[in-house]
Amino acid sequence: MIVADHVTFQYAESSEPALRDISLSIDDGDFVGITGTSGAGKSTLAMALNGIVPHEWKGDFYGSVKIDGMDTVEHQTEDFCRKIGEVFQDIDSQMVASVVEDEILFGLENFGVPHGEIKIRLEKVLEDLGIPDLRKREISSLSGGQKQKVAIAAILALEPRILVLDEPTGELDPESSREIFGLLRKLNEEKGITIVIIEQKIKLLCEYVKRLIVLDKGALAFDGVPGEIISHIETFKTLGINVPPVAELSYLLRQSGVYDGGITLTVQEAEKMVREVLHDPV
Amino acid sequence: MNLLNYVPGNSFLHRLNPITKLAAAFLYGLACILCGSILMELGFIVLMIAVCAVAGLGKRALRLTRNLLILGLFMFVLQLFFVRTGEALVQIGEFVLITTGGLASALLLSLRVVATMLPLMLLFAITPMNDLCNALVKKAHLPYRYAFILTTAFRFVPLFSTEFHEIQDAQKARGVDFETKNLFRKIGLVAPLCVPLLVSSLEKVNSSAISAEMRGFHLRTRQSGYKEYPFTGRDVLIFVILISLVVFSALFL
Ligand SMILES: Nc1ncnc2c1ncn2[C@@H]1O[C@H](COP(=O)(O)OP(=O)(O)OP(=O)(O)O)[C@@H](O)[C@H]1O
Ligand SMILES: [Mg+2]
Repeated sequence: MIVADHVTFQYAESSEPALRDISLSIDDGDFVGITGTSGAGKSTLAMALNGIVPHEWKGDFYGSVKIDGMDTVEHQTEDFCRKIGEVFQDIDSQMVASVVEDEILFGLENFGVPHGEIKIRLEKVLEDLGIPDLRKREISSLSGGQKQKVAIAAILALEPRILVLDEPTGELDPESSREIFGLLRKLNEEKGITIVIIEQKIKLLCEYVKRLIVLDKGALAFDGVPGEIISHIETFKTLGINVPPVAELSYLLRQSGVYDGGITLTVQEAEKMVREVLHDPV
Repeated sequence: MNLLNYVPGNSFLHRLNPITKLAAAFLYGLACILCGSILMELGFIVLMIAVCAVAGLGKRALRLTRNLLILGLFMFVLQLFFVRTGEALVQIGEFVLITTGGLASALLLSLRVVATMLPLMLLFAITPMNDLCNALVKKAHLPYRYAFILTTAFRFVPLFSTEFHEIQDAQKARGVDFETKNLFRKIGLVAPLCVPLLVSSLEKVNSSAISAEMRGFHLRTRQSGYKEYPFTGRDVLIFVILISLVVFSALFL
């Protein structure tokens, strides 16, 4: 469990805070999506949740973050690196090896995973991400999307209890993005892994996550279940965040008084709603 | 075209232990340094190219030789005018420009440079950097952090050049003409790009370090490496051949 208590952070070279008075707690087994416009502080928040801020990025840090009761300021990264893994936003610079296989082996070797198990985990994670054929490839020769999958694989293989992903689908096509989300949901449901994912594609977030957090200029603008966004659609619009069209449709239909059900977040739900409104059962 | 990257393959050279490859490259270079005959230096170069050709790396060896010859030429010219022993070969009035001793030692030195560097350069074609470092950690007990610095430095070279071209392309799109023949003008155009390149590179190195840290870099021990690098009879054979070569070169050439 991660508890952030009144966290404010300002980068050393910056003139205004990147995070403003953020308090939230992420329970074990939660599936949290974080969104917000560019520069809203999403990456900074993700790094504050695992101690990289303020350990590796210097600046003024106020408040506290506790991972399973351990204060991130008082402990070093090595104390919680086994618990929490992060896939960073910058794909290239998080790589530590030149061949795909070595990239995935790196963390497994460091954490002292028994050599017999390393092989199993390596093959499983390549399989899960659909990239067994990339195993021997040079990372520098891969496409952006392929690199992204390798970065995700390298962290997934370590099986952390908490998984933080910073825009892991930025370079992926819609289908692969959906596959990644599906995989994360499976990990979340079957293994109870806590997932914190930063994502611009709010439609995907609404479909998959259990809880949605919206940041605006470093402050929490929304924190609730995706279904609740219906009562905040105007706020979202003023923040410049595109709500999923199907959600907006249900909102508009409700506004005009022809529909009084809940928010629709998927096309299937929307279809049902529209049929209901048109009195046109399948 | 990068002449230092790894060429995947399964030849007898590729299959040697990474440490054997490293040692062999150094021993071969040592033999070339000890050798004092112009003809034999040529022989060493030809032999190296031939061995590579058998392993399917002939093209790479030839291109490397060509590039090294440019370096050799530079050494040749320097040596030619600095060594003043022997009889006059080219004379302008009273002034002796080139001597026989100068010519001989210039030839020897330039060929020696080529012959010595060639195996070291070819090492990269047959050895993935990662394997070399892991083997050095496991077998030669090199501390992992040094091995890591080495692999990282190598990994960043292509990354830098991509980055540099990206910045250059961005400038080109704004109408800056990099194709100029004037060297000074070119330096003037490229120099300002070095600062953003340096800044973004340092940032990348920093992020890379953070990522390594988060994946337990500190927890690593010498036994951590998953891959094993056993020595085989083939490795022993190579060691014997190359040590004999060094001894032979020291005594007779
Ligand atoms: N290393 C740094 N030094 C100084 N300021 C920084 C640094 N990194 C980020 N910032 C600033 O902090 C603020 C938040 O940045 P952050 O990267 O967290 O935003 P983000 O929401 O992740 O944006 P994006 O969607 O573009 O990734 C921005 O104003 C940014 O300029
Ligand atoms: Mg970001």
